[in-house]
Amino acid sequence: MTKLTLQRVAQAKKRHKTRSADSALILPAIEGDAPHDPALAAAAKAARFTGKAGEALAVPGAHGFTILAGVGAGCAISDWEAGGGAGMAAAAGRAQAVLLAEGATPEQAAGFAAGALLNAWRFNALRDASKDKDAPPAKVILAVASPAKVEAAWQRAEAMLRGVLYARDLVAEPGNRLNPKSFAERLRGLRDFGLKIEVLEGKRLTALGMGALCAVGGGAEHGPRLVVLRWPGKLKSAPVAFVGKGICFDTGGISIKPAAGMEEMRGDMAGAAAAAGAVLTLALRQSPAPAVAVLALAENAIGAASYRPGDILRSFSGKTIEVLDTDAEGRLVLADALAYTAQRFRPRAMINLATLTGSIITALGLHRAGVFGNDEALTAALMAAGEAVAEPLWPMPIDDEHRDVLKSDIADLRQCAPAGSGAWGGRFLSDACHAAAFLREFAGSSAWAHLDIAGVEAREEAAPLGPKGPSGFGVRLLDRLVATRFEHDA
Amino acid sequence: MPDITFVKPSLPRSGALVLLLAEGAALSGLAKAAEEATGGAVSRGLEAAKFKGAKGQTCTLWAPGGGLTKIVAIGLGKADALDAQGAENAGGSALVAVQQERDAVMAADGLSPALAASAAMGARLRSYRFDRYRTTEKEEDKPKLERIAVAAAEPTKAKAAFAPMQAIADGVFLTRDLVSEPPNVLTPAEMAERCKALEKLGVEVEIMGPREMKRLGFGALLGVAQGSAQEPRMVTMKWMGAPKGKKQKPLAFIGKGVTFDTGGISIKPAGGMEDMKWDMAGAGTVIGLMAALAGRKAKADVIGMVGLVENMPSATAQRPGDVVKSYSGQTIEVINTDAEGRLVLADVMWYCQEKYDPRFMVDLATLTGAIIIALGHERAGLFSNDDTLATHVKEAGSAVGEKAWRMPLGDAYDKQIKSDIADMKNVGGRPGGSITAAQFIQRFVNGKPWAHLDIAGTAWSSKDAPTVPKGATAYGVRMLDRMVADHYEG
Repeated sequence: MTKLTLQRVAQAKKRHKTRSADSALILPAIEGDAPHDPALAAAAKAARFTGKAGEALAVPGAHGFTILAGVGAGCAISDWEAGGGAGMAAAAGRAQAVLLAEGATPEQAAGFAAGALLNAWRFNALRDASKDKDAPPAKVILAVASPAKVEAAWQRAEAMLRGVLYARDLVAEPGNRLNPKSFAERLRGLRDFGLKIEVLEGKRLTALGMGALCAVGGGAEHGPRLVVLRWPGKLKSAPVAFVGKGICFDTGGISIKPAAGMEEMRGDMAGAAAAAGAVLTLALRQSPAPAVAVLALAENAIGAASYRPGDILRSFSGKTIEVLDTDAEGRLVLADALAYTAQRFRPRAMINLATLTGSIITALGLHRAGVFGNDEALTAALMAAGEAVAEPLWPMPIDDEHRDVLKSDIADLRQCAPAGSGAWGGRFLSDACHAAAFLREFAGSSAWAHLDIAGVEAREEAAPLGPKGPSGFGVRLLDRLVATRFEHDA
Repeated sequence: MPDITFVKPSLPRSGALVLLLAEGAALSGLAKAAEEATGGAVSRGLEAAKFKGAKGQTCTLWAPGGGLTKIVAIGLGKADALDAQGAENAGGSALVAVQQERDAVMAADGLSPALAASAAMGARLRSYRFDRYRTTEKEEDKPKLERIAVAAAEPTKAKAAFAPMQAIADGVFLTRDLVSEPPNVLTPAEMAERCKALEKLGVEVEIMGPREMKRLGFGALLGVAQGSAQEPRMVTMKWMGAPKGKKQKPLAFIGKGVTFDTGGISIKPAGGMEDMKWDMAGAGTVIGLMAALAGRKAKADVIGMVGLVENMPSATAQRPGDVVKSYSGQTIEVINTDAEGRLVLADVMWYCQEKYDPRFMVDLATLTGAIIIALGHERAGLFSNDDTLATHVKEAGSAVGEKAWRMPLGDAYDKQIKSDIADMKNVGGRPGGSITAAQFIQRFVNGKPWAHLDIAGTAWSSKDAPTVPKGATAYGVRMLDRMVADHYEG
């Protein structure tokens, strides 16, 4: 993560001046208010810069290199984040950025900086980025009237940031580096932050009866893992549970995917990454809420030991599942993880995240994730949390018809509707709803919600809050949900 | 189609008798009379069949005595939970059970007059058949039912309650006829001609042909029509039912009427293309709705408008890449000629709001396959720029069993239909396909309150439902009739 220093305004301005050749000064601009500085005001007018949240204007030559960063009306934290992010993007190629937030509240200032650092994230572990001319500033200073007063708000923001960026790093990792084994190893590092970790694998999984997870992961060199990350918190309540789909690479298995675009399937573990990032954030900010993340890790590979269409699996819940399509594997690993989580932890709420279906992309596009569930209050709380942190959701239905198509002739249920069985020549199946109806069967009586994040786990293009690529979608949403709903005893 | 009459409760001496029985209730009224006339055969039979009166449960007693061919018991569920939909469903099931008899009595003497009327409505709706093109159907396969007498405690009141329902059912049947008609019969000109049937209900019908459209500048609609040998039509239907002195701006309903959709140059795959005869279901629904409103003399001023075209590939068909100028003046780059419905609606809707300045516009269209991928077949997608209107539509739909699900709109989606060379393009790619279609239409509502129902998944049903035989459903007629009744009359 890019390093950020809190400084007094005078000191920060001096730092900007002494390094003016490679420093950018980022000023928040309120929509409709002309900057006080005449040169900046003239530039803003000439460039038709309005100060809309997420708009930025570089003004070279004014106090060295100045950037006007639109923060909209200057009230909502999300607008400050968008401004900080856009400002940071405009500072690309410079070594240092000074974010000037002297008039802002501590939360606004922290948001301004958090937006900048979300924007500045890069995955450079596997390439030489030293010659990258458009690299974001490596040094970031947040200039405020009183650093002491902003410290607490910044720590809170930083905990969120580290969780998000932890998730992004995982999603960015390619399938040859991040397999179920190495993923679990990496998660062990979270012990340093007070999280308790258990890794269930091999015979242990078989003995537990995780027939669905074992089948999906069985074709790969590195077998499946179920990782449990626990944050004890302080409350006596049952934990809130995050369950993540962690398919480290998804070839589709025997029902193999078309070659074009298959490389994106390295990100098919984004749900697990978000769940891990969320508990990391809770730990870093010492949330009083007990939480648990249960990650179902597997590689859906093609091999002699791969599972087949037609196979019938006995899941942890005891229910048998007929496999029709080995590429609908995410719901299978989640089936075991959900049933296990519900039985073992009796959670206050259970939220699973998964890059589950292409259907949700057709339904909601790339701007909202779908939320399904069995508890209206939980769904509403998730929606509100998502709106607040710019990870928007949209509620989706589970109707009788969606459950009806899962009736199997020879098992308790089948995992999806047969290909070609939809309307208009078989082409149109509401698979996202079918998948949600399937998962509901394994959630038991828990208050449960399912986030289908297949449209939003990666950005198609750069945005204020992040470059093109993994978004870390879900971490902030879950952090906010816990903060607003689960930090008091039930 | 059987006649429906309302009579005083009296035991028939022949034919079939239907008993509508609440769960756990003792036999009373006609049921008790039947029990006595058959020497206790009713209670013996029901007990042997473990009939308890649960909702939807049915039991047939053959030759029970008393000269009857059969007695059919239909469960209503708990008496105090019985609503209009429950009564309709029971009536629908009753109709199926006695279809092969000539005469039947439905014992609704235990129900209120309103619920007895609803049971009759259910039977009416289920009795629909489209057999215009069957010439060799065997006698024994045809339904025999000529009369169904609804025995009600207060037959006059029940009959009065049924009168407006009958008008609505007529509207539903008109829609089902139109949607069922094959595309070689139901051309745009023929469909327009059939609208004239509404004149005898007091509806003013105006038909516009291509010459007038060309003069006005309906470039978007005409672009779709130009590939077909069949001329396009636009039909305006006016029902001015608001009492003098209570006149307000009219309500407007607009329907997509593509009488056959090959896809045009962007031709569809062959499998399932026959379904595209019902790509005029939006228009068919508006026509049936106008018939229902006029038939029951709704106290509201309502404009119904339909754009009727056929989308064919030919030497004169429009091409992907063509730019057309819509009636609004906005230009459209046609990327996919199979996204034609929105082009038709664009001109009709702009014309509608300009000429009639309506209180709101609701359009119906079998617009996208994406809405099926999103929601399936139980609900239509509802898009709106007005929360009150959207709530009215959704609630009215729930009341009559025509469910809708709200879907999102937003600038992020609107950006997907930006064109490089025109004001917009007619498709926005796979992500959020129904949403971008709705965004397109929104550009032609000129800021007026508007709701859009994407009925591609609900216009046609592949299986029977209690009040809707498989085939054309006329989804929307009852919903919008109810919405007008609940909020916009008097």
